[in-house]
Formats: sequence, structure tokens, C-alpha cells
Amino acid sequence: MRLKGLPSLWRNYQTGTRRYGLRWGTLRAHMQNPAKMSRTISLLFVVVLAVCACASPAPKRAVLQGSNAQSVNFSGSWEMDYGQSDNTQEKLDSIVRELNRDAQRRAAQSNMQQGAVGGGMMIGGPSSSSSILGMVRMADLITQSPLLDITQDTDKIRVKREQDFDLTCEFFPGELNRVETPFGTEICGWNGHQLVFKLLLPEGLSIQHVMTVGAAGQKLNIATTVVSSQVSFPFLLNRVYNRFEPGQSGYKCEVTLTRGTVCTTESR
Amino acid sequence: MYHRIPLSIVRLHLSVLAVCVMAAVYLCLQVSVAQSSDDDNFVDVGLVIFDPGIPVDKSTHSKLGIFPEIRKAEAKYMPVMLRETLIDSGDWGVVRVLPEPLESSELLVTGVIVHSDGQRLELQIQARDATGAQWLDKAYIGTTTPSVYPVNVPVDPYSQVYAQIAADLLAVRRQKSASQLSEIREVALMRYASELAPEVFASYLSSSAAGMYTLQRLPASDDPMLARVVRIRNQEYLFIDTVDEQYARLAEEMAPTYNLWRQYGAEQADYRDEYQSRVASKTSQGRRGSFVALEQTYNAYKWSKIHEQDLDELALGFNNEVAPTQMEVSGTVFKLSGSLDTQYIEWREILQRIFALETGLPPAP
Repeated sequence: MRLKGLPSLWRNYQTGTRRYGLRWGTLRAHMQNPAKMSRTISLLFVVVLAVCACASPAPKRAVLQGSNAQSVNFSGSWEMDYGQSDNTQEKLDSIVRELNRDAQRRAAQSNMQQGAVGGGMMIGGPSSSSSILGMVRMADLITQSPLLDITQDTDKIRVKREQDFDLTCEFFPGELNRVETPFGTEICGWNGHQLVFKLLLPEGLSIQHVMTVGAAGQKLNIATTVVSSQVSFPFLLNRVYNRFEPGQSGYKCEVTLTRGTVCTTESR
Repeated sequence: MYHRIPLSIVRLHLSVLAVCVMAAVYLCLQVSVAQSSDDDNFVDVGLVIFDPGIPVDKSTHSKLGIFPEIRKAEAKYMPVMLRETLIDSGDWGVVRVLPEPLESSELLVTGVIVHSDGQRLELQIQARDATGAQWLDKAYIGTTTPSVYPVNVPVDPYSQVYAQIAADLLAVRRQKSASQLSEIREVALMRYASELAPEVFASYLSSSAAGMYTLQRLPASDDPMLARVVRIRNQEYLFIDTVDEQYARLAEEMAPTYNLWRQYGAEQADYRDEYQSRVASKTSQGRRGSFVALEQTYNAYKWSKIHEQDLDELALGFNNEVAPTQMEVSGTVFKLSGSLDTQYIEWREILQRIFALETGLPPAP
């Protein structure tokens, strides 16, 4: 038993460019083909229950601290290192392989017990192919920022992400930074030398970013874990960033209300 | 043969001389004001800069839409607006904005900013006279409509709130008889005197556990000690009026930028409300767990954060404009508060020491 169709589907992935992302149009076309879709979904349904938590290791439940005890500093400008970052396509391939292996194992077990039990495929459960695909696409979507600009002092950090909102965290000794809004809840804090941002959203979606800076301070890893209540295992994507010095522009801009963004020249 | 006089002593003498001249002028003005106050049953009002109402728990600021630096500026701005309203009404004596509560004020007004943005203002206002009688303890709420923006200074979007506070204060004052108002003024003076020289003046007043003050007797009108107390009090008022001018200038200078900030805030809040109602009324576009449903959830959060962070950036823009302006008068908006509070306390201590030197009495504890 093999998950035919899915591997070729995942191959439709833009390689050789600096953009890592899935060609979702192709995927959609594939899913709109009733025969292919039926086969894909059936195969996924068979094995999904069995691979609970085997696609990505479940994130360890970290005990977060409010203060930056190890004085880790993320400040600076960072650009994504596409070569070292996880390839979403490969991660998906990995899931499919896991699903395949498990499906084969279960099929073999099923065949052995067929005489007594009567056999049959296990279909259903909390995870479905579209939920898995949804979760993976979400992970890809929210980790696409190619540039980060991080400012940090003793009290707070702001991670400016291109194409997304800023991740912010205030450091309160002895307590975690928790911000609740009608749209979701943000929790952040330190887990040793790592800074952890958790985002709990409606619809059973939660996202965790774990930031780790390399010993030399030149590499930054952001491990993003997406959890969906409709999928029984989390999905993890690592994005690696390299420190860079932004070109000296010779000017500095600040926002003012009456004059908009005001830029002034500054000596180099 | 020349004796070198230390520069600090020269400065001190010049300062004392300047204060004395100003105090003399001020005394003349006070006498005329006092006379007309007596005639018209006016009451002097002390407006303490408001409590900005910033929760200690910083994690709630974002949820409550509180920008602490702006709240601190508002805490100085709003009493000035209320002062202008009271002065314009012509129903009151001298109206001062105080850096700290002056308990011996004839009428002391305090306020807490419960909520403030471009759409809604909520103030909790308390007013108490020198006898301890409560005049007001009430929440005032004002709302705006998009038509009030852009604001044409000096009109304030919440002028109706200040007008309502003034009207309520006036209604209480009108219930007081002339003798009651006269007693308030006398108790105010005796409270100030007993703070300055408790050994001499404490017996003129009795106070209850509930904080009510009753006049027991009055010193003779030509009592020299009382004259000294009045002189010291007027010198304190002189300092407060200097501070008061700075608050007024601060309010005048920050008004255009602040109004613009409130306008942006109102627009952002309108957008947020509309968005929330749209989301609430609309069913999820996709099946639960599907990419469409997850994306919809994430985007709702993402845009709410982007709007919040936009407003945050505007708040920084607000400070970028206000801070240098304040540097020209007496430091930034926030330095102004600290330095004036300290100066006021120091000034009061100096006055108490002068009084002790003049009278030979021990300084008040």
C-alpha cells in the first residue's frame, strides 16, 4: 500500500529560487480532481490516526520565565538563510513517508488479523487530509518573513517581521507576559536561553515560536510549531537567519503625527 | 578693598527680592479678588492633576488600549480644560491646577481617567470643600461622533464633559448659603494655618474621624500671626500660579497633536468595531481545521495586532513632537511633572522654614 499521487503532488514545489512555499494552486487542482482527491484523502485517512505525533516531535512543555536570566540578546537585523532553513516541501514529504510506512505496517497487521476480525481500513478520527494540509500551509504562511529587525533592551523585545505583525514581549521578573485580546491570547517568556512566543487563537489554532541565537551571535533559529485541534500531531518548521548590517543610509526616519514620517540626515 | 560675595548668595538675594516684589503685587491682586469673592460668594477651586488611571499590571495595557505616556500627558491636559471651563463660566474665584493636592483648598477637585480615547472619555470626579463636605463623586462620560474630527482648537471633543462637571459643581455651590461659603473660606485658611503652625492654630478647628472640619473660633482679624500665615499662603499660591501657567502652556501646545492622535485613535477603534461585528456575523469561510478557516483566524489576529501597533507607533510620533516642545519650557512633559512636584515640595518646606524663623515656632512636622 503506497500513497501514490501525494509525493508527486509535493514535488510541485518551487526550488532553485529564494522562495520557499508550496504551489498551492497545483495542490488545489489536484484536490479538485475527484479521482485523485478521493485516493489521496482515503490514503491519508487510513494512516493519519496511526501517526499521532510522529510527523513532528511534540514540543516540550517549557516552564517559561519572565526575566532574561541569561542575558541573551537578539538585537539586530536578520535575513533568512534559505539553505539552512527547513524546506516545507521536504517536511511534507517526510510526513507522507511516515504516513506511508505506518499505513503499510497497519495494513500488514490488519492482514494478519483479517481471519479473526474481518479486516477493514481505519478511516476517520481527528485528523483529515485537508486539516493536515491546512496546518502545514499555515506554518509555511507564518514563517515567510525574509527579514527581521529586532530591538531589545532590559525590559522588552520587538521582533519586526516583514509582511507580518511584530512579535513583542515585555520582561516582568517573576511573571510571564500575557496579553489577551478579543482575537487571541499571547504568552511569552524565557526558557533558559530561548525566547518563546505562544499564540493561542480561536478555532483550535495555536502557534509557538522559539527563538534561539547561536553561540557566536551570528545565527538565529526560529522554530515555529503549529498545532491545530483538528490534527493529532503538531507541525514544526525551523527558519534560520543570518545577522547582517543594514546599509548605512545616512538618514534616520521617525514617525510624527502632523508631518508623517520625517527623515533627517545624519553623519556617518 | 573688595569682598568677594559668593555668586550663590547674590542669586539667593535676587531670588528673594524677586519673590518679594511678586508677592507684594500678588497680595494687592489677592485683596481685590478676595473682596469681590466675598461679595459674590465665589469659592476658589484647586484642580489636582488627574490620576492617569494606568493599571500596575502592564500586561493589561494593550487589552485596555492604554498608552501610558499619553495617559500621563492627558492627566495634565484635562484639568487645564476643566479649569478653562470653570473660568469661562465666571462662577468661581481663582481656579488653579495643582501639582499635588492642597488639602486646605476652599474646594479641591480630584479626578481619575477611567477611559480615554478618541471615541469615549470617562472621568471619575470627586470634589470636597475645606470643611470636608463632599460636593461630587461621580463618573462623567462623553462620547464623540466622527463629525467632531478634525478638531478646531480651542474646541475640545469632550467639552460637554467639562461643562457638565462645572454645572454640577455650580449646582452644589448654589445650595450653600452665604454663611456656609464664608465658613468654607475660613476653615480653609485655618487648615492652612494649622498645617503651618499646629501649636498655635490647631485649637481653632475640630475634626471628626470622617474628615469633617468645624471652626471653633477665629483669631482676631489683626492677629499678626494670622497675617504671616496669609502672607506665606499667598507666596505658595504665587508658586502654584507659576506652575499653573506651565500646565496651561503645555495644554495649548500639545492640543493640535493630541487632537490628531485622538482622531486617528477614533478611526482605528471604528475600524476595529466594524471588523469585530463583521467577523461575529460571518460564518467561517471554511471547514474547521481547513487552511481557509485557519487563515481567517490568523488574519483576524494579525490585523488587530497591526492596527494596535500602528497606534503604538503614532503614540511614539506624539512623543516625538511633544517632548522637544516641552524642553523649551521646563523639560519634557514627563520631566515637567517630576520636577514640579519636587519643586513644589521644596518650596513648601522653604516657606515653612521662613515662617518658623519669623515666628520662632518650631517648623511643622
